[in-house]
Amino acid sequence: MITFSRSQVIGAEFPDRETVRFTGIQEDHIYGMEIAMEVRIRDGQVLKIEGNMKRYTNFVCPQAVPVLQAAVGMCLREQGWDRRVMREIGRKGCEHFAEIVIECGRCLDQAVMARDLAAALQADPHLNQDEYLRNWRKEHAFLGNAL
Amino acid sequence: MTLKFMRNKVVEVEPRPDGTLAVSWRLTDDLLKAEVELAVEPPELEIVEARARLERFPAQDCQAAAALVGKIEGVSVGPGLRKIVRGLLAGPGGCSVVADAVLECCNAVILHFTRPGIELGEGISDPEEKLAATRAMVQANPRLVRSCIAFQDESPIMKGLEL
Repeated sequence: MITFSRSQVIGAEFPDRETVRFTGIQEDHIYGMEIAMEVRIRDGQVLKIEGNMKRYTNFVCPQAVPVLQAAVGMCLREQGWDRRVMREIGRKGCEHFAEIVIECGRCLDQAVMARDLAAALQADPHLNQDEYLRNWRKEHAFLGNAL
Repeated sequence: MTLKFMRNKVVEVEPRPDGTLAVSWRLTDDLLKAEVELAVEPPELEIVEARARLERFPAQDCQAAAALVGKIEGVSVGPGLRKIVRGLLAGPGGCSVVADAVLECCNAVILHFTRPGIELGEGISDPEEKLAATRAMVQANPRLVRSCIAFQDESPIMKGLEL
Protein backbone atom coordinates (compact mmCIF):
# COMPACT_ATOMS: atom_id res chain seq x y z
CA MET A 1 0.00 0.00 0.00
CA ILE A 2 0.99 3.64 -0.37
CA THR A 3 2.84 4.81 2.74
CA PHE A 4 3.29 8.44 1.79
CA SER A 5 1.43 10.56 -0.73
CA ARG A 6 1.51 14.27 -1.52
CA SER A 7 -0.64 16.25 -3.93
CA GLN A 8 -0.11 19.79 -5.11
CA VAL A 9 -2.72 21.71 -7.06
CA ILE A 10 -1.90 25.12 -8.53
CA GLY A 11 -4.48 27.30 -10.26
CA ALA A 12 -3.83 30.55 -12.11
CA GLU A 13 -6.32 33.28 -12.98
CA PHE A 14 -5.66 36.66 -14.54
CA PRO A 15 -7.54 39.53 -12.85
CA ASP A 16 -5.94 41.89 -15.42
CA ARG A 17 -3.28 41.79 -18.19
CA GLU A 18 -0.52 42.62 -15.72
CA THR A 19 -1.31 40.28 -12.85
CA VAL A 20 -1.61 36.57 -12.21
CA ARG A 21 -3.39 35.29 -9.12
CA PHE A 22 -2.29 31.86 -7.91
CA THR A 23 -3.96 29.51 -5.52
CA GLY A 24 -1.83 26.64 -4.33
CA ILE A 25 -2.83 23.68 -2.22
CA GLN A 26 -0.52 21.04 -0.79
CA GLU A 27 -1.95 18.02 0.99
CA ASP A 28 -0.03 15.00 2.16
CA HIS A 29 -0.27 12.36 4.86
CA ILE A 30 1.38 14.75 7.34
CA TYR A 31 0.78 18.38 6.31
CA GLY A 32 -2.01 20.46 4.77
CA MET A 33 -1.38 24.04 3.59
CA GLU A 34 -2.79 26.63 1.19
CA ILE A 35 -1.38 29.78 -0.38
CA ALA A 36 -3.04 32.58 -2.36
CA MET A 37 -0.69 35.03 -4.02
CA GLU A 38 -0.65 37.73 -6.68
CA VAL A 39 2.34 38.23 -8.96
CA ARG A 40 3.13 41.00 -11.44
CA ILE A 41 3.75 39.29 -14.78
CA ARG A 42 6.27 41.78 -16.15
CA ASP A 43 8.96 41.21 -13.52
CA GLY A 44 7.61 38.32 -11.43
CA GLN A 45 7.31 40.44 -8.31
CA VAL A 46 5.09 39.05 -5.55
CA LEU A 47 2.46 41.71 -4.81
CA LYS A 48 0.33 40.01 -2.18
CA ILE A 49 0.32 36.70 -0.30
CA GLU A 50 -1.85 34.88 2.20
CA GLY A 51 -1.48 31.46 3.72
CA ASN A 52 -3.56 28.99 5.63
CA MET A 53 -2.03 26.22 7.67
CA LYS A 54 -4.58 23.44 8.01
CA ARG A 55 -2.54 20.49 9.27
CA TYR A 56 0.87 20.66 10.92
CA THR A 57 3.01 18.82 13.46
CA ASN A 58 3.63 21.10 16.45
CA PHE A 59 2.34 24.18 18.27
CA VAL A 60 5.04 26.52 16.88
CA CYS A 61 4.17 25.90 13.20
CA PRO A 62 1.34 28.51 12.94
CA GLN A 63 3.89 31.24 13.78
CA ALA A 64 5.11 30.72 10.20
CA VAL A 65 1.96 32.34 8.76
CA PRO A 66 3.10 35.98 9.25
CA VAL A 67 6.60 35.07 7.96
CA LEU A 68 4.97 34.60 4.53
CA GLN A 69 4.83 38.40 4.16
CA ALA A 70 8.60 38.30 3.54
CA ALA A 71 7.68 37.07 0.05
CA VAL A 72 6.07 40.40 -0.88
CA GLY A 73 8.53 42.24 -3.14
CA MET A 74 10.49 39.11 -4.06
CA CYS A 75 11.07 38.61 -7.76
CA LEU A 76 10.26 35.13 -9.03
CA ARG A 77 12.50 35.63 -12.04
CA GLU A 78 15.77 36.66 -10.44
CA GLN A 79 18.66 34.20 -10.33
CA GLY A 80 18.27 31.83 -7.37
CA TRP A 81 14.72 32.98 -6.55
CA ASP A 82 13.68 29.51 -5.41
CA ARG A 83 16.61 29.22 -3.00
CA ARG A 84 15.72 32.65 -1.62
CA VAL A 85 12.10 31.57 -1.07
CA MET A 86 13.29 28.43 0.74
CA ARG A 87 15.66 30.48 2.90
CA GLU A 88 13.31 33.36 3.79
CA ILE A 89 9.94 31.57 3.87
CA GLY A 90 11.05 27.98 4.46
CA ARG A 91 13.81 28.14 7.03
CA LYS A 92 12.55 31.23 8.84
CA GLY A 93 8.95 30.04 8.57
CA CYS A 94 7.62 26.80 7.09
CA GLU A 95 9.26 24.79 4.30
CA HIS A 96 5.88 23.49 3.15
CA PHE A 97 4.61 27.03 2.57
CA ALA A 98 7.86 27.65 0.67
CA GLU A 99 7.27 24.54 -1.46
CA ILE A 100 3.88 25.90 -2.56
CA VAL A 101 5.27 29.39 -3.30
CA ILE A 102 8.05 27.78 -5.37
CA GLU A 103 5.56 25.69 -7.34
CA CYS A 104 3.49 28.82 -8.03
CA GLY A 105 6.69 30.53 -9.22
CA ARG A 106 7.47 27.62 -11.54
CA CYS A 107 3.98 28.01 -13.01
CA LEU A 108 4.34 31.76 -13.66
CA ASP A 109 5.51 31.69 -17.28
CA GLN A 110 3.67 28.44 -18.01
CA ALA A 111 0.41 30.12 -17.00
CA VAL A 112 1.05 33.15 -19.23
CA MET A 113 2.01 30.84 -22.09
CA ALA A 114 -1.18 28.77 -21.60
CA ARG A 115 -3.31 31.94 -21.48
CA ASP A 116 -1.76 33.22 -24.71
CA LEU A 117 -2.07 29.84 -26.47
CA ALA A 118 -5.74 29.60 -25.50
CA ALA A 119 -6.37 33.10 -26.90
CA ALA A 120 -4.48 32.26 -30.11
CA LEU A 121 -6.50 29.05 -30.51
CA GLN A 122 -9.70 31.00 -30.11
CA ALA A 123 -8.64 33.25 -32.95
CA ASP A 124 -7.42 30.33 -35.08
CA PRO A 125 -8.75 26.86 -34.12
CA HIS A 126 -6.38 25.24 -36.65
CA LEU A 127 -3.29 26.83 -35.14
CA ASN A 128 -0.16 24.66 -35.03
CA GLN A 129 0.28 24.59 -31.26
CA ASP A 130 3.85 23.23 -31.31
CA GLU A 131 4.97 25.98 -33.62
CA TYR A 132 3.10 28.66 -31.66
CA LEU A 133 4.77 27.60 -28.40
CA ARG A 134 8.20 27.32 -30.02
CA ASN A 135 7.87 30.93 -31.20
CA TRP A 136 6.41 32.06 -27.88
CA ARG A 137 9.41 30.61 -26.06
CA LYS A 138 11.82 32.31 -28.47
CA GLU A 139 10.09 35.67 -28.10
CA HIS A 140 9.99 35.38 -24.31
CA ALA A 141 13.47 33.92 -23.76
CA PHE A 142 14.33 37.11 -21.82
CA LEU A 143 11.97 36.00 -19.05
CA GLY A 144 14.62 33.60 -17.82
CA ASN A 145 12.42 30.91 -16.24
CA ALA A 146 12.50 27.34 -17.57
CA LEU A 147 10.09 27.61 -20.46
CA MET B 1 -13.26 33.92 -12.66
CA THR B 2 -12.18 30.80 -14.54
CA LEU B 3 -8.65 29.44 -14.30
CA LYS B 4 -6.44 29.91 -17.35
CA PHE B 5 -3.92 27.37 -16.13
CA MET B 6 -4.04 24.45 -13.74
CA ARG B 7 -1.34 22.06 -12.55
CA ASN B 8 -1.89 18.81 -10.65
CA LYS B 9 1.05 16.98 -9.17
CA VAL B 10 1.21 13.77 -7.13
CA VAL B 11 4.11 11.91 -5.57
CA GLU B 12 3.63 8.53 -3.88
CA VAL B 13 5.85 6.05 -2.06
CA GLU B 14 4.97 2.36 -2.05
CA PRO B 15 7.17 -0.33 -0.45
CA ARG B 16 7.64 -3.38 -2.69
CA PRO B 17 7.82 -7.00 -1.47
CA ASP B 18 11.59 -7.06 -2.20
CA GLY B 19 12.15 -4.20 0.28
CA THR B 20 12.76 -1.44 -2.26
CA LEU B 21 10.60 1.67 -2.31
CA ALA B 22 8.74 2.46 -5.52
CA VAL B 23 8.33 6.22 -5.93
CA SER B 24 5.93 7.56 -8.53
CA TRP B 25 5.79 11.28 -9.45
CA ARG B 26 3.24 12.60 -11.94
CA LEU B 27 2.49 16.09 -13.19
CA THR B 28 -0.22 17.24 -15.53
CA ASP B 29 -1.09 20.78 -16.54
CA ASP B 30 -2.35 22.63 -19.62
CA LEU B 31 1.00 22.33 -21.39
CA LEU B 32 2.88 19.43 -19.85
CA LYS B 33 2.36 15.82 -18.84
CA ALA B 34 5.33 14.28 -17.04
CA GLU B 35 6.11 11.13 -15.09
CA VAL B 36 9.16 10.08 -13.10
CA GLU B 37 9.50 6.68 -11.47
CA LEU B 38 12.28 5.71 -9.09
CA ALA B 39 13.15 2.58 -7.15
CA VAL B 40 15.05 3.31 -3.95
CA GLU B 41 16.87 0.60 -2.04
CA PRO B 42 17.23 0.79 1.78
CA PRO B 43 19.25 1.02 3.95
CA GLU B 44 21.59 3.22 1.84
CA LEU B 45 18.57 4.67 0.01
CA GLU B 46 20.34 4.19 -3.28
CA ILE B 47 18.36 5.04 -6.41
CA VAL B 48 18.60 1.75 -8.31
CA GLU B 49 16.12 2.51 -11.12
CA ALA B 50 15.01 5.78 -12.69
CA ARG B 51 12.63 6.43 -15.55
CA ALA B 52 11.09 9.62 -16.95
CA ARG B 53 8.57 10.49 -19.62
CA LEU B 54 7.49 13.97 -20.75
CA GLU B 55 4.64 14.62 -23.16
CA ARG B 56 2.44 17.42 -24.52
CA PHE B 57 4.71 20.48 -24.98
CA PRO B 58 7.94 19.95 -23.01
CA ALA B 59 10.67 22.59 -23.41
CA GLN B 60 13.41 21.78 -25.91
CA ASP B 61 15.93 20.93 -23.16
CA CYS B 62 13.54 18.38 -21.65
CA GLN B 63 12.96 16.36 -24.79
CA ALA B 64 15.86 14.06 -23.92
CA ALA B 65 14.71 13.64 -20.31
CA ALA B 66 14.07 9.90 -20.64
CA ALA B 67 17.74 9.28 -21.48
CA LEU B 68 19.02 11.88 -19.03
CA VAL B 69 17.35 10.54 -15.88
CA GLY B 70 19.40 7.31 -15.89
CA LYS B 71 22.38 9.41 -14.73
CA ILE B 72 21.03 9.41 -11.18
CA GLU B 73 21.04 5.61 -10.83
CA GLY B 74 23.59 4.84 -8.12
CA VAL B 75 23.05 8.13 -6.27
CA SER B 76 21.88 7.83 -2.63
CA VAL B 77 19.29 9.94 -0.83
CA GLY B 78 21.43 11.80 1.72
CA PRO B 79 23.66 14.84 2.30
CA GLY B 80 24.60 16.76 -0.85
CA LEU B 81 21.77 15.23 -2.87
CA ARG B 82 20.44 18.57 -4.14
CA LYS B 83 23.82 19.55 -5.57
CA ILE B 84 24.42 16.11 -7.11
CA VAL B 85 20.99 15.92 -8.77
CA ARG B 86 21.18 19.47 -10.10
CA GLY B 87 24.70 18.78 -11.38
CA LEU B 88 23.58 15.63 -13.22
CA LEU B 89 20.15 16.64 -14.49
CA ALA B 90 19.81 20.44 -14.56
CA GLY B 91 21.95 23.22 -16.05
CA PRO B 92 22.83 23.61 -19.74
CA GLY B 93 21.45 20.69 -21.75
CA GLY B 94 19.60 19.41 -18.66
CA CYS B 95 15.96 19.45 -17.67
CA SER B 96 14.99 21.30 -14.50
CA VAL B 97 11.53 19.65 -14.49
CA VAL B 98 13.10 16.20 -14.11
CA ALA B 99 15.74 17.41 -11.62
CA ASP B 100 13.01 18.94 -9.43
CA ALA B 101 10.89 15.80 -9.80
CA VAL B 102 13.74 13.58 -8.61
CA LEU B 103 14.33 15.83 -5.59
CA GLU B 104 10.62 15.74 -4.76
CA CYS B 105 10.66 11.93 -5.01
CA CYS B 106 13.61 11.81 -2.58
CA ASN B 107 11.84 14.17 -0.19
CA ALA B 108 8.82 11.86 -0.28
CA VAL B 109 11.07 8.93 0.69
CA ILE B 110 12.28 10.91 3.72
CA LEU B 111 8.67 11.74 4.66
CA HIS B 112 7.75 8.05 4.28
CA PHE B 113 10.25 7.36 7.10
CA THR B 114 9.15 10.44 9.10
CA ARG B 115 5.42 9.66 9.16
CA PRO B 116 5.45 6.78 11.72
CA GLY B 117 7.32 8.92 14.30
CA ILE B 118 4.81 11.74 13.91
CA GLU B 119 1.92 9.30 14.28
CA LEU B 120 3.48 7.94 17.49
CA GLY B 121 3.67 11.51 18.87
CA GLU B 122 -0.04 11.99 18.16
CA GLY B 123 -0.81 9.33 20.76
CA ILE B 124 0.68 11.51 23.51
CA SER B 125 -1.91 13.79 25.15
CA ASP B 126 0.12 15.39 27.97
CA PRO B 127 1.63 18.68 26.59
CA GLU B 128 4.88 18.29 28.58
CA GLU B 129 5.36 14.73 27.37
CA LYS B 130 4.57 15.84 23.83
CA LEU B 131 7.18 18.61 24.06
CA ALA B 132 9.75 16.15 25.42
CA ALA B 133 9.01 13.76 22.54
CA THR B 134 9.45 16.59 20.00
CA ARG B 135 12.76 17.57 21.62
CA ALA B 136 13.93 13.95 21.50
CA MET B 137 13.02 13.83 17.81
CA VAL B 138 15.14 16.95 17.11
CA GLN B 139 18.06 15.50 19.03
CA ALA B 140 17.81 12.31 16.99
CA ASN B 141 17.54 14.25 13.70
CA PRO B 142 20.09 17.10 13.73
CA ARG B 143 19.14 18.03 10.14
CA LEU B 144 15.95 19.53 11.62
CA VAL B 145 17.87 22.14 13.64
CA ARG B 146 17.14 25.61 12.20
CA SER B 147 15.27 24.01 9.28
CA CYS B 148 12.07 25.97 10.05
CA ILE B 149 10.53 28.33 12.61
CA ALA B 150 9.76 25.48 15.02
CA PHE B 151 13.44 24.52 15.26
CA GLN B 152 15.08 27.96 15.28
CA ASP B 153 17.15 28.80 18.38
CA GLU B 154 14.44 31.05 19.86
CA SER B 155 11.65 28.47 19.53
CA PRO B 156 10.24 27.11 22.81
CA ILE B 157 10.91 23.61 21.46
CA MET B 158 14.65 24.34 21.32
CA LYS B 159 14.84 25.80 24.84
CA GLY B 160 17.40 23.88 26.86
CA LEU B 161 18.67 21.95 23.85
CA GLU B 162 22.20 22.83 22.97
CA LEU B 163 22.19 21.94 19.31
